[in-house]
Amino acid sequence: MEMIKRITFTILTALFVTIFIGINQAFAVNAEENYKWYCSQCHGLTGKGDGINATKDQPVNPRNHTDTKEMAKLSASDVENVIRDGGAATSKSTMMPPFGKTMTDAEIKELVAYLSKLCNCKFK
Amino acid sequence: MNRFLRIVTVILVALTMLVGIGIYQSMAGSAEGKGIFASKKCGDCHLMAGPNTDKTFADKLNRKGPDLWFAGSKFKKDWLEGWLKNPKPIRQMEYNSIEKKNSGNHSKLSDKEAGDVTAYLMTLKSKDVAEGVVKEGPNIQGKIAFEKKQGCYGCHPVTKAGKVVGGLSGPSFVDAGKRLQGDWIYAYLKNPKSLIPVKRMPTYAGILNDADMKNVAQYVTTFK
Ligand code: HEC
Ligand code: HEC
Ligand code: HEC
Repeated sequence: MEMIKRITFTILTALFVTIFIGINQAFAVNAEENYKWYCSQCHGLTGKGDGINATKDQPVNPRNHTDTKEMAKLSASDVENVIRDGGAATSKSTMMPPFGKTMTDAEIKELVAYLSKLCNCKFK
Repeated sequence: MNRFLRIVTVILVALTMLVGIGIYQSMAGSAEGKGIFASKKCGDCHLMAGPNTDKTFADKLNRKGPDLWFAGSKFKKDWLEGWLKNPKPIRQMEYNSIEKKNSGNHSKLSDKEAGDVTAYLMTLKSKDVAEGVVKEGPNIQGKIAFEKKQGCYGCHPVTKAGKVVGGLSGPSFVDAGKRLQGDWIYAYLKNPKSLIPVKRMPTYAGILNDADMKNVAQYVTTFK
């Protein structure tokens, strides 16, 4: 009897954990998906700074995220701050919008790592 | 004196009848409009019963057109009727796309159909859009919020010195003042989840303060 109780308990726990992970995954968005949804409209789908909003009359061009040399000048906290609070955070143009109320802190941190892959560089 | 009373009575009766006919006609138009909307299958692409329950990017990508369940809170009536007769692209890109241009092939309605469908759509209001909050007319603080504090034209086409400039991923603001009600713009900025839960536009509530959201909403209605 004890044995059956223990087995049932284990199975139930496993079920709950599986369902919970499933639900969590359904809502979690990975960095690449966020990038393609939000950032690429300006920075381009591959990050070259050539999204559809980069029209010739805009006052500044979106940063080319694949430019290793330029991107390596930034620190990880610069990048995080600029995504959360917009261009003003690093004294850049407010044409770079703030995403702090759009994405979670964890999602923003993952985007920093994703940008590091795009530029093939390490932030200071 | 008697004669005077009789004239007043006649005028009152006539007035009551006119108002009655007016109300009846606007109701009939709206009922007919609803029928036209159903028979033309407009609901295949437009959500008509809110609220929108989208949670993921995939949910949004499955939608073929913008929601209309709050149309009466969002649009100005004259613009809506004119657009249904002669639809010109509002979004420069295909709905939900950041790669393909909008080919501008929206279905057209006849004058009579457009009148009836407009009457129907204008009855669709959202309880999340408070009326009479945002005023009309120039708003300098709103202009500063739109161009300096934030770069709203980074994604929305606008007219500057007679030329259309700005980004292309958001709906055009070139004639936004003819098209949109200030109250809807403010409600959308303040609580985007209640009207457009999944979108490529960042959420500005908590970034712009309440006064600036009202100011910027008013400023957008000056684009004509
Ligand atoms: C509305 C267009 C737009 C969108 C959307 C946008 N950006 Fe930008 N971004 C810009 C512009 C323009 C600049 C350049 C600002 C400057 O040089 O003054 C920029 C600059 C940057 C920089 C460099 C900042 C610096 O200090 O040099 C980073 C990093 C960045 N963006 C990341 C992102 C990420 C990540 C996203 C998506 C969450 C994103 N951007 C979305 C327009 C945009
Ligand atoms: C095949 C899908 C489809 C059908 C069917 C369709 N629409 Fe649309 N509708 C769209 C798209 C896409 C847009 C956005 C057009 C643009 O931005 O230029 C739109 C825009 C609109 C708008 C403006 C909404 C806004 O937020 O800008 C109205 C009003 C509208 N449609 C009414 C109708 C009516 C009435 C019918 C039926 C006669 C209809 N639609 C049928 C796809 C559709
Ligand atoms: C990163 C790009 C981007 C920026 C920056 C941006 N928007 Fe948007 N905006 C959009 C997109 C995309 C939509 C369409 C949302 C949807 O229906 O999915 C939109 C929709 C809107 C609408 C509704 C328009 C309609 O006809 O349905 C309003 C109003 C609006 N934005 C105002 C603003 C204001 C005010 C600002 C600046 C504070 C701003 N936007 C900044 C991309 C942007």
